[in-house]
Amino acid sequence: MTVTESKPSYKYVGTRPVRHDGLEKVTGRARFAADLNMSGQLHGIVVRSPHAHARIVSIDTSDAEAMDGVKAVITGDDFPAVDPSHRQYDMCINVIARDKVLYEGHAVAAVAASTRDQAQAAAAAVKVEYEVLPAVLTIDQAMAPGAPLLHAHMMTAGANPPAEEPSNISNVTRFSGGELDAGFAEADLVIEREFTTQPVHQGYIEPHACVADTGQDGHTTIWCSSQGHFNVRSSTATLLGWENSRIRVIPAEIGGGFGGKTTIYLEPLAVALSAKAGRPVKMVMTRDEVFRATGPAPGTKLRIKLGVKSDGDLVAGDAYLIYTNGAYAGPGGLLGAMTVFESYKIPNFEIEALDVVINTARSAAYRAPAAPLTAYAMETMLDEIAEELGIDPIDFRIQNAVTEGDPSTMGFPFARIGFVECLEAVRDHPNYKAPLGPNQGRGVAAGYWFNIGESSSATVNLNEDGTATVVTGSPDIGGSRASMALMAAEELGIDVYDIRPVVGDTEAVGFTDVTEGSRATFATGMAVVEACRRMVVELRGRAAKMMGVDVDDIDWMDGQAVYTGSDGEKAPLSVAEITAKAKRTGGPLTATGSLEAHGAGPGFAVHLCDLEVDPETGVVRVVRYTASQDAGTAIHPSYVEGQIQGGVAQGVGWALNEEYIYDSDGVMENPSFLDYRVPVASDLPMIDAIIVEVPNPAHPYGVRGVGETGIVPPIPAVANAIYDATGCRIRDLPMSPIRVLDAITSNGGSNGS
Amino acid sequence: MSRVHVTCTINGDPAEFLCDGGQTLLDALRDEVGLTGAKEGCGTGDCGACSIVMDGRLLCSCLVLAPEADGRNISTVEGMATGDDLHPLQQCFLEGAALQCGVCTPGFLVAAKALLDRNPDPTETEIRYGLAGNLCRCTGYDKIVRAVQAAAETINES
Amino acid sequence: MAVRVHLSSNLRGPTGGVAEVEADGSTVGALIDDLDRRYPGLGDALRAGVSVVIDGLLIAHPEYEPLADGAQVYFVPQTAGG
Ligand code: FES
Ligand code: FES
Repeated sequence: MTVTESKPSYKYVGTRPVRHDGLEKVTGRARFAADLNMSGQLHGIVVRSPHAHARIVSIDTSDAEAMDGVKAVITGDDFPAVDPSHRQYDMCINVIARDKVLYEGHAVAAVAASTRDQAQAAAAAVKVEYEVLPAVLTIDQAMAPGAPLLHAHMMTAGANPPAEEPSNISNVTRFSGGELDAGFAEADLVIEREFTTQPVHQGYIEPHACVADTGQDGHTTIWCSSQGHFNVRSSTATLLGWENSRIRVIPAEIGGGFGGKTTIYLEPLAVALSAKAGRPVKMVMTRDEVFRATGPAPGTKLRIKLGVKSDGDLVAGDAYLIYTNGAYAGPGGLLGAMTVFESYKIPNFEIEALDVVINTARSAAYRAPAAPLTAYAMETMLDEIAEELGIDPIDFRIQNAVTEGDPSTMGFPFARIGFVECLEAVRDHPNYKAPLGPNQGRGVAAGYWFNIGESSSATVNLNEDGTATVVTGSPDIGGSRASMALMAAEELGIDVYDIRPVVGDTEAVGFTDVTEGSRATFATGMAVVEACRRMVVELRGRAAKMMGVDVDDIDWMDGQAVYTGSDGEKAPLSVAEITAKAKRTGGPLTATGSLEAHGAGPGFAVHLCDLEVDPETGVVRVVRYTASQDAGTAIHPSYVEGQIQGGVAQGVGWALNEEYIYDSDGVMENPSFLDYRVPVASDLPMIDAIIVEVPNPAHPYGVRGVGETGIVPPIPAVANAIYDATGCRIRDLPMSPIRVLDAITSNGGSNGS
Repeated sequence: MSRVHVTCTINGDPAEFLCDGGQTLLDALRDEVGLTGAKEGCGTGDCGACSIVMDGRLLCSCLVLAPEADGRNISTVEGMATGDDLHPLQQCFLEGAALQCGVCTPGFLVAAKALLDRNPDPTETEIRYGLAGNLCRCTGYDKIVRAVQAAAETINES
Repeated sequence: MAVRVHLSSNLRGPTGGVAEVEADGSTVGALIDDLDRRYPGLGDALRAGVSVVIDGLLIAHPEYEPLADGAQVYFVPQTAGG
């Protein structure tokens, strides 16, 4: 494990304190959503569609309502109608179906009863009559002429000329630059490849859960696990047709999200049940429900053509990308288009990306959405080209890598970025030249993600004894409380353990967007820094009063107000000394920071994977792994490494094992961790994380988001290593033993095309 | 349905609770006894988040029926620390940043303690196989394995 | 306030495929209004979920962002994340 030492200019930023919420989490005391129980609480269960595509003819809840312990039953009719033009229409009809179900597992009703068993029995007694419709389960089926339509009115957005007929293509995105034909004409080598990938699940270990307590006054309190409780509030309000102010959302600890908890599923149902029953309602999904009804990342079909000159300069790229976002419109294709060529200087390009709906669960974001798949295609093709041209794969990437000032796919010039630095870090790592054993191979691949900013709020309260509380609205998924405390410690000069970082509920802190897009430490960190800087202004003013001097003669240094004027010596005042006199100098010391964060710096990562392929069984074992990533500045390096290592593990699972499997009716066949196999400790080696620090000029400490980029390179790194070990290029995911074995036997292990 | 009366020892203390005959021990611990440290990640024995030790054996409490606990000796994550002293595993998990979201952590701690009780000086491979019944989706296992190594060292030195 | 506007290729329909145009505005909102006068239809496209990059800074909701004379403004699609 390579460690980037803390910056000499910072006292706290870059150090590795024990996280503030750690003790609760190692003693079992931390309260995740399913750990909460309210007095008088009922248990809610969702009734789900057994069909992938069907019209709801009728729902009869009378038997269920008459059963023992049943206090409320709801269906789509208990929610206000929602117009298809509404911005959150898809979310609304996904949470509870109205006239149609669009995938197996789609919620159609919900029941609350005194015990879970009673609720389950009542859910089974809800009679739903369906008119089963033909299901569309693949991209090809969805795009076939005359295909059954999921949404009767879906017109392809972005089509030029505009679509005249509805279809299952929700969206088309096109980007281009230069002259494609001229570019290919210039090329000495042109290759074109096709890839397919299947939906995968984020696989957070904690299933979705919430408790809602709706009072007779029409106000509700929701405790839940989410990546953003303000979003839970507004989305729930939208579904119910309520004002936001009637809903308070209190964040429980969150047991993983990875994008899958940026949307909602249970909360409006729990609120509606609770309102009807007049009692608190707790709802917890089973793992089976999590798989069937939440968050897969899109499956794809990708076709890419690249042209390169014999000196190694890429000159042309043509990409045709199709993403399925499950049963609703989604951003997969758009994000694929925005990432596919983004890391390299390709002067002539065309990209066309389609988003297609099929009868499977609605896709949710998954870490750097869409980018791991475009990277799979691009980075394996670059590997082929480098080999063909006889250029080292890292040198080839360095030669073509974007650097500051180069135009992105969207046209704007990149600010300072650390792609080349990440490539060099891996090239110079001993892993790159380490000897390989028999049946072993090595693969390198790069990855890119934009990162986002959005809105964040923070409040800093100084306590009477000079310690501090920092309240933010960002749920802490992977150690962000510690990062907030470190930045506050640095700004205020208070010891990091004297700062209590808190995640405030929707009534305790200003609006804050979802923890997504790797934004918490970046954007919420900026709000914390802003609040602290205002606090320092206040502290200087209070100190000036106490010293009887002009505030302009007070500097803030090392956690103390220091007099710099010429009127003799004055003892500096510590935070504790100032807070002790707060009542006499103007009252409590509190400051807020709220902002819309601009300038999220793009993140780059480069991974190196060594693996061994068993030629008898096709089983692939990762034996060594090194990953570099530009973090801008690592506020808490341990948790930056953790994000990198976690991204690697998820990416390796995606590469080798993970996929949704459906039967011919669209029923998921592997909705358990037994059949949907995620990597376990014995599947992986240590993961050497190299933190590269090319500071983001837009952040006061140079932070770039680190949560997502690490999942982008593993799939192609594994694929390239499998090629190195076997001579086989596998262009369909997952690269499961059977597929690897097939490839080895059919290719005789001799060539890769 | 009449409820079953269960008498057992939990984390060294005598305990009793009422449960349904078909209730899992995980649900009984969480809902009847109020120990919510063990988590349900799957309910099917595939994730290890519900790990407990019963009469010296590491088990997924989601696969044990609550009435089976009668007369047994159960340890959960809540019993790992002694007074205000954390178990070395807990300390090493904290210092080594071996948790991110932390939902898998109780299960890993219980499973790792069972591993070290059995094998005080495990190799990296033994740790990885010893913990292969526990899923973590956040950490990539690197820091968890290192924390267990560090804890083994601490225990063996003392 | 004369500003140089760069349109990502998916936004160039109303300009007949032209990537770079001149327009006026003291804020991004005013700039969009002016662009819509010059290229009817472009305003709607730019108001529907578009971010800008100015001086290397990605700004997701730029309507009131002030512009300096001679600024370079890049319109790009809005992104999401996990
Ligand atoms: S909950 Fe028991 S193994 Fe997953
Ligand atoms: S720390 Fe989140 S699952 Fe392990």
